Amino acid sequence: MKTFAASSALALLAGLGLASGALADGEYAGVTIDAKLIGGQQYEALYARIPEWEAKTGAKVNIVSQKNHFELDKEFKADIAAGAITWCVGSNHSSFAPQYPQLYTDLTPLLPAETIAGFVPANIEAATLDGKLVMLPRAQFDVSALYYQKSLYTDPAKAEAFKAKYGYDLAVPETWDQFRDQAMFFADPPNFYGTQYAGKEEGIAGRFYEIVVANGGKMFNDDFSPAFNSPEGKMALQWFVDLYKAGAVPPGTTNYLWDDLGNGFASGTIALNLDWPGWSGFFNDPAASKVAGNVGVAPAPKGAAGVRTGWSGFHGFSVTEACANKEAAASLVDFLTNEDSQALESAAGPLPTRTAVWDKVIADAASDPYKAEVLAAFQETAKTAFPVPKTPYWIEATNLIYPELQAAILGDKTVDEALQTASDAVDSLMRENGVY
Amino acid sequence: MYQMRLPPWLVLLLPAFVILLAVVAIPLVLSLYSSFTAFQLTRPETITRWIGTFNYGKAMGDANFWAAFGRAVLLLTLALNLEMLLGLGLAVMVAKVTLGQRLLRTMMMFPMMFSPILVGFQFKFIFNDNVGLLNNALQSLGLTDVAIPWLVDGNLAFLAIVAAEVWTSTSVFAILILAGIFAIPQDPVEAARVDGCTPWQTFRYVTLPFLMPFIYIAMAIRSLDVARAYDIVQVMTAGGPARRTELLWTLIGRTGYVDARMGYANAMGYIAILLSIVFTVYFFRKLTTARTSLGMGD
Amino acid sequence: MDQGRTHRIRRRLLKGGHFLGLFLAMSIICLPGLWVVLNSFRPTVEIMAKPPVWIPTELNLDHYRAMFGGVGEGGVPVLTYFWNSMIISLTSTAIALLVGMAGGYAFARHRIPGKAAIFVGLMVTRAVPGVALSLPLFILFGRIGIIDTHFGMILVYVALNVPFTIWLIDGFFRQVPKELAEAAEIDGCTRWQAFWKVEFPVARAGIASAGIFAFLTSWNEYALASQLTRSLNSKTMPVGLMDFTSQFTLNWGGMCALAVLMIIPALVLTFLVQKHLIAGLTFGGVKG
Repeated sequence: MKTFAASSALALLAGLGLASGALADGEYAGVTIDAKLIGGQQYEALYARIPEWEAKTGAKVNIVSQKNHFELDKEFKADIAAGAITWCVGSNHSSFAPQYPQLYTDLTPLLPAETIAGFVPANIEAATLDGKLVMLPRAQFDVSALYYQKSLYTDPAKAEAFKAKYGYDLAVPETWDQFRDQAMFFADPPNFYGTQYAGKEEGIAGRFYEIVVANGGKMFNDDFSPAFNSPEGKMALQWFVDLYKAGAVPPGTTNYLWDDLGNGFASGTIALNLDWPGWSGFFNDPAASKVAGNVGVAPAPKGAAGVRTGWSGFHGFSVTEACANKEAAASLVDFLTNEDSQALESAAGPLPTRTAVWDKVIADAASDPYKAEVLAAFQETAKTAFPVPKTPYWIEATNLIYPELQAAILGDKTVDEALQTASDAVDSLMRENGVY
Repeated sequence: MYQMRLPPWLVLLLPAFVILLAVVAIPLVLSLYSSFTAFQLTRPETITRWIGTFNYGKAMGDANFWAAFGRAVLLLTLALNLEMLLGLGLAVMVAKVTLGQRLLRTMMMFPMMFSPILVGFQFKFIFNDNVGLLNNALQSLGLTDVAIPWLVDGNLAFLAIVAAEVWTSTSVFAILILAGIFAIPQDPVEAARVDGCTPWQTFRYVTLPFLMPFIYIAMAIRSLDVARAYDIVQVMTAGGPARRTELLWTLIGRTGYVDARMGYANAMGYIAILLSIVFTVYFFRKLTTARTSLGMGD
Repeated sequence: MDQGRTHRIRRRLLKGGHFLGLFLAMSIICLPGLWVVLNSFRPTVEIMAKPPVWIPTELNLDHYRAMFGGVGEGGVPVLTYFWNSMIISLTSTAIALLVGMAGGYAFARHRIPGKAAIFVGLMVTRAVPGVALSLPLFILFGRIGIIDTHFGMILVYVALNVPFTIWLIDGFFRQVPKELAEAAEIDGCTRWQAFWKVEFPVARAGIASAGIFAFLTSWNEYALASQLTRSLNSKTMPVGLMDFTSQFTLNWGGMCALAVLMIIPALVLTFLVQKHLIAGLTFGGVKG
């Protein structure tokens, strides 16, 4: 009791004399922060920095859970249901965040304004739900760009044959229509495919969403009633159906998720692959990929409305509303997303969410042409990127939509039927939950 | 002051009762209650919103639910029968071996060492249409020149799951049936041979009836934990594509945890539990009958 | 003479068929598993190659090295997971056997009103799918504060294994004639001594086989463990497998390496116990 009083008095004193952003020594002495952090090789290197924060502030971090995001998501939901939110800091993701509106606190009052100003404004925008800044983004920004096999575009015989068939020059596709033509042109099943797409769960629903937007359409109206059963939506779904029917994608593609896509492209059997930044190193690593040295990267193609696809998301850290010492928790979150932390994480490949770190990463890559190409493509795509619709029912809606998309792709239903069914299902979901 | 004396059998069974009560019965009561509410995980206050049998009505009226239900029954029936036949064949073959049988028996149980979640990943990679082991093998041997979409085609996807399920669980049947074979008294078999029965007749009319209790035990055990198939199916296809491999358990898991509608999921869960109970009780009765007919019942 | 020859040919054919069938069956059983083992020694580029690489050109320990390596280099706290799995599986198996022995003894030796119903009732608890149990269990465990502890997992696995254990052991005790134990008691043994000296040794094989089933169930269980374990405190190996997956990637080679570490202890244990296993199941099965 005595030590607790002493340490909180110390924290108070330290807090009063604190210049914004700087960590005073021993500021949070005696405080223990329980944290649930995403596990996995890609994410854990950052946690090695935690002792540094502990040494500076005198607080202790206790990692009470380390799992991948889907497992963590289940766990958060179970915690909310059990009323057992006994922890302070949690890993968050922009696609999952809208599901737990009451779980996390607004970080704005807890952080100096200049800290927040250091982030890419679009990311801060996407991390703000109902006016609350629910998380600080870490250097794990994800948007998809186009990976392709360079050798396909340097073969004069292919270029000639393509021009004869489609009437325009073969070049890395800039629109989804060109992409479709080329994917069909390159395909030579069962040994080689034009492209592939994630065919289930949020994977295909997200791709569908971004192509709808690129075609000038919308997923939801402003009141969150479904808006994808529209000409733009049909055009988007037709694109998936055409590729499947033409045999330009592996026949198993409707069962693929991201790992299958990455391994598929690395196996050298896929010409064009819309994929995430996290794979860039893997694709060019001779020990992991057969296309190493032959990988080109371009910005994501544009849809019928001239809009680039850019379904994006990012990881971040949040502080719970139930946290006893929000200042200390926010300080940890700040530390894990500051420039040094982002520089550390982005050095391994993932994209940063701070303006200054973007500049640094691009400068560092200047000597490595592949890395520079990767960054240029992703930076261009990131400029017009957009997050998932900010409704708590997004994930649930995608669970209603994707089986219908699959049904259309596999030919069980027509495009019109599939979108009608999906739209009706989402409509009744929204009504049942009293959204409108 | 008086002391209550429990009968000795109750004292002996008490630990089992207490543990099962704590870990199974009480949670089940909780989920039974929640199945009558609009309980959503992300909004804990909804657990008090009593909506009667709405969730059950919704499940009953949902074509997707019944499709998943039917598919689960089909999977159970198909997998259990296949496992039984293959297990029987395997056990008979292994029983005949005299040299190195211990090694063979261990090999026979090899799949039991694999966690269902691992089996899911393993068969997902085996059945991958593009870089999967099976298609690669078929193509290398020149048996096909197309990439067979094992996990996508309506029937193949279901069969792929059955194959994974059969691979993991045939061992259970084989080992139990093998135990049965060793327990067969030799006199009736000898008598049948002396009476001029062919090996097939001996097997059909002497050996097999004796093995039936063992087969039913295996059936009962397997129908009890066939919900383990959840891990496998979730990893291999997650019920997709286009709900072609949707089983009760994948549907419930997704509704409960991803969609966060625990109330509705629990209502469907209760119907699923009934299904398991029906299968189990059925095999128990069969077991009792088989034992009685062999004069081994009590 | 002629008949003898056809008979001989037939016998030889039968023998050949038997051998071939056994070989095929064992191949189908072992190949998918051995493929996992092989993959753990191969670089990812070869596992996923197209056209396939049938004869490995390179075998190395990279996946193992990475797995035991530090955080950020692909390291996974395998030893902790292994330790957790061992403690949880062994302890829960031991407790399930004790509880099962008590219960099985009760069923075999005592007149219990409504015996069949109680018996089926016990078994049916096993039929509840993990998905349906996990949330209420979580809420309950959360209230008493045993989430993410060895104790919580042990409790769950004991409950999972007790019904089957009771069943098997019950069948065993029935094999021991009641008179045997009674004779021992007359000879001056207490009931307890009679149990240990007379009934227990006969039932040993049954207990061993119940034990191996219980151990394998606990060792491999995923659905409940993924909900009730959270951190290094109690995460078991099947849950640890998911460390090789992230939102976009899946390291199959690494997963195989961890899988091999999971399989080896189970395999060794099975090999050691399986002599008892056959004998154990024999008694357990016939007498109901």
